[in-house]
Amino acid sequence: MTTCSECTSFFPFEDDDSCGDCVQRVVDPRQAYHKARPVDADNDASKCPNFNKK
Amino acid sequence: MKCIGCGVEASIKEFRYLYNPRIDASVTLRQCAKCQAWLVVDEMKNEATRIMQAGEDPWGKSAGIENVTQAT
Amino acid sequence: MSTATQTNITNAESKEWWWVAERERSPRLDYLRKAVWKKGAIGGNYAPGIKVNLERAQLFTESWKENEHDPIMLRKAKALAHYLENKTIFITDQAQLVGYVGTLPNTLEWYPEGASIVNEEVYNEQSVIPEPEKESLELIAEINDYWSGQTAIDKLGRVLDPEDIVKFMSGVIGWGSPTSAYGYSGKDYEYILTGKRGFEDILDDIDANIEAVEKETKGMPGPDILPLYDKLLNWEAMQIILDAVIDYANRYARLAKIIAENFETDPKRRKELLQIAETCERIPAQAPRNLQESFQLDLFIQVIARAEAYEGAWPGRPDYYHGPFYDKDVNIDKRLTKDEALDLVGEFMIRAHEVGMFGPRWTREGLQGITGTWVWTLGGVNQDGTDACNDLTVAFLQAARLVRVSNPTFGFRWHPEVKDEVMRECFECLRHGLGYPSMRNDPVLVENTMYWYGHPIEEARTWVHQACMSPCPTTKHGFQPMRMASATANTVKMVEYALSDGYDRVVSMQMGPKTGDPRNFKDFEELFQAWVQQMEWLMKILVRTVNLGRVKDPEFFGRPFLSAISERSVESGLDAVSPEGERGNCWVTFFTWVENADSLAAVKKLVFDEKKYTMDQLMTALEANWEGYEEMRLDFVRNAPKWGNDDDYVDEIMVRCLREVARHGKEIKCPSGNNWPALPENVSGNIHYASLVGALPNGRRLGDALYDGGISPGPGLDKKGPTAVLKSCAKIDHVKDGRAFLLNQRMSPTQLNGDKGYTMWKSYMKSWADLGLDHVQFNMVDDTTLRSAQKDPEKYQELIVRVAGYSAHFVDISRKTQDNIIQRTVVGL
Repeated sequence: MTTCSECTSFFPFEDDDSCGDCVQRVVDPRQAYHKARPVDADNDASKCPNFNKK
Repeated sequence: MKCIGCGVEASIKEFRYLYNPRIDASVTLRQCAKCQAWLVVDEMKNEATRIMQAGEDPWGKSAGIENVTQAT
Repeated sequence: MSTATQTNITNAESKEWWWVAERERSPRLDYLRKAVWKKGAIGGNYAPGIKVNLERAQLFTESWKENEHDPIMLRKAKALAHYLENKTIFITDQAQLVGYVGTLPNTLEWYPEGASIVNEEVYNEQSVIPEPEKESLELIAEINDYWSGQTAIDKLGRVLDPEDIVKFMSGVIGWGSPTSAYGYSGKDYEYILTGKRGFEDILDDIDANIEAVEKETKGMPGPDILPLYDKLLNWEAMQIILDAVIDYANRYARLAKIIAENFETDPKRRKELLQIAETCERIPAQAPRNLQESFQLDLFIQVIARAEAYEGAWPGRPDYYHGPFYDKDVNIDKRLTKDEALDLVGEFMIRAHEVGMFGPRWTREGLQGITGTWVWTLGGVNQDGTDACNDLTVAFLQAARLVRVSNPTFGFRWHPEVKDEVMRECFECLRHGLGYPSMRNDPVLVENTMYWYGHPIEEARTWVHQACMSPCPTTKHGFQPMRMASATANTVKMVEYALSDGYDRVVSMQMGPKTGDPRNFKDFEELFQAWVQQMEWLMKILVRTVNLGRVKDPEFFGRPFLSAISERSVESGLDAVSPEGERGNCWVTFFTWVENADSLAAVKKLVFDEKKYTMDQLMTALEANWEGYEEMRLDFVRNAPKWGNDDDYVDEIMVRCLREVARHGKEIKCPSGNNWPALPENVSGNIHYASLVGALPNGRRLGDALYDGGISPGPGLDKKGPTAVLKSCAKIDHVKDGRAFLLNQRMSPTQLNGDKGYTMWKSYMKSWADLGLDHVQFNMVDDTTLRSAQKDPEKYQELIVRVAGYSAHFVDISRKTQDNIIQRTVVGL
């Protein structure tokens, strides 16, 4: 199973690498920004449209 | 009263009252129930004088303008 | 001369200040200004692309369900902590300040625990449902089902008097929700923003309080120790939320580092990102050391307060509290240039401007174009009475002209020692068409604050605008933690019901007391006494509702974060909203006020004094909405004295009405046992209520916009010039006759050009101050520009007008409101 930990957007927490931030670049009609949301490293990423293998 | 837009004639009450921002004037905005046009109405004469367009000022310039020494 | 300079001159001469601003502001400010997704409703509807944030509703509800046995403060703190730990965060390119109410830049925050009727509006507001729509609607329906019957308003509805609820819910006598969920709070800035403490210091204080109390709860049993158990739980809630906010800030620090190390290639921007990281590692855990940290602390406080509740106002005094850091960074340590500091100041305003929360339709229509009234207070005096204006006061006024946001706006606390340099900056903002700062008479309002509530003078001098108008201290016992908009009265109903035996013809129900068939009134005194009874009834019903909402709020809603940053809560272990320990600072906002005096005066003159018409004839015409009675209607408009013309006939009626209200405002009491004075002002309630108020003797018809509020004369009805307006207003005692009195004035931008214009304006302001008025605000924009904006709104996106106690982008307000503003009298000085 493909997991979040295998994705270039995944940045594990220093004190607990079983979870981390999923960080992505977004350009919307008004601004560009980076967003982050906490995820578990072993989340199923097989259906994630933004998955990008390391 | 007759609608200038579509020509329908009806009692002034049939034309939906919208508003009048200058209560010291007899000019109001009413809407024709048939063609939905916004009509400028003279309430004293019960007469629609024209169709209101965006940016028009049927009430004339703002009150007090005549007291201002320069034109705005 | 360069093309850009020539263009600037041309644009300045044609008063297109927004083009000038765009060219003069830094590239960073230009980018950040244009990056904002507009959150204010346009004609009551949200702009395309704006979506409601579902993460808070989902995460909050998830935690709420898990902790169902916890008391409310604890349950609330855990739910907020869960949200802050897991929500999406972002950092905009070029930003130096972080923190957002919501998740993505185009989202509105939603509070499902507040009011079921608002939750239903979310479901039905198709344009704000995020994609994929089907799944989002299923989630919203599930959340709404859970909260149905459980929201703060649902619970309050079960304890209020049923007749009061029905009449309040009719929507014609007032508006608002008597709950913290949809209200606004002052803040104890003297505790949290003076640079003396960070959240870790507060946590230490709470630890010490818990330790002391636990000794008692483990000691001798008796009635005295019983209240302490709840306090222990409240303190635990405060600890949870303070820790959660520190962690939330660290999430931004982490994200900034990730971007710097993995995404950003520009070395200058990398350095800025690492600066953001350092700031967020320190703030809010520890006290700030510089301007960026001070602004960041303030911003986090405001963002988290809005994670907790829809805060419809933003009381703040940014020049006073952040001024020492500005001075340190720019003047002493020279860590920042003035331009660099201006970037931070401008960005701080933009961060406030971008805030968006899903508001019920009545707020969107009553506050067209904005999310809430962010009126920041500048100037004024220190607690010892000396001038408080500083370099940051000037910087804010300059930044305002560059970023041109409609919200926040400023209220400037004028006093006789204000330097000319600062007055000139205020004038330049007005001349540039911002519609702010509003000018407040500080000595009058300090005295007023002491008169109505007994605040000591040092406390009164700390005052900020609680929302648009009302002063409120920022101290331990003086700040007001819960101001519900529902103490807001549609006061024109007083005269309407006096003329209809208390019956509301618009909603077809008996609302006020039966005060007699007006056709049988023999003299003006009978009418006036009927008016007094309707006035007392209206004030009582709204204040009853609000008082109960206030005392029940800790039980029905809970504010762990607001409590955690308030000294009296940290000390006492009580919810900040509890009236215990608060001096009381309530007021009843009086929408649609001047129509009372104008209508009473018209009846007195044409019916009772001149006997030109009978009451029967007048009532018949009013019941017909003046249809078929146009000549009579114009008689009542033109031949009866109108407020604002220095005419004692109507001015004495105005003052008499206000003094009856002031008398009654001392009879009705707030939960702290203090007074409820009235405050005439409007926001855009004059438009919202246009179709809910019937025909009146001042000549209006059902559907016409009501006057624009406070003690402003009706559009076009002030015929004697600006001095006459001031003289009318000066007949009111601005200390004893009410809480404050809004006055809109519109001036000609051409007449007020250059130094000559400034001199004329200062002369006007001197008259205003000498006459003892407490407030004035200005529109300086010409008809041609406004009409052009109606024709071509795309070209006038940054054109700002003063609506009432707030400003809005002209193109964001309804056509009716636009026409109402255009018809406001232009006063020639």
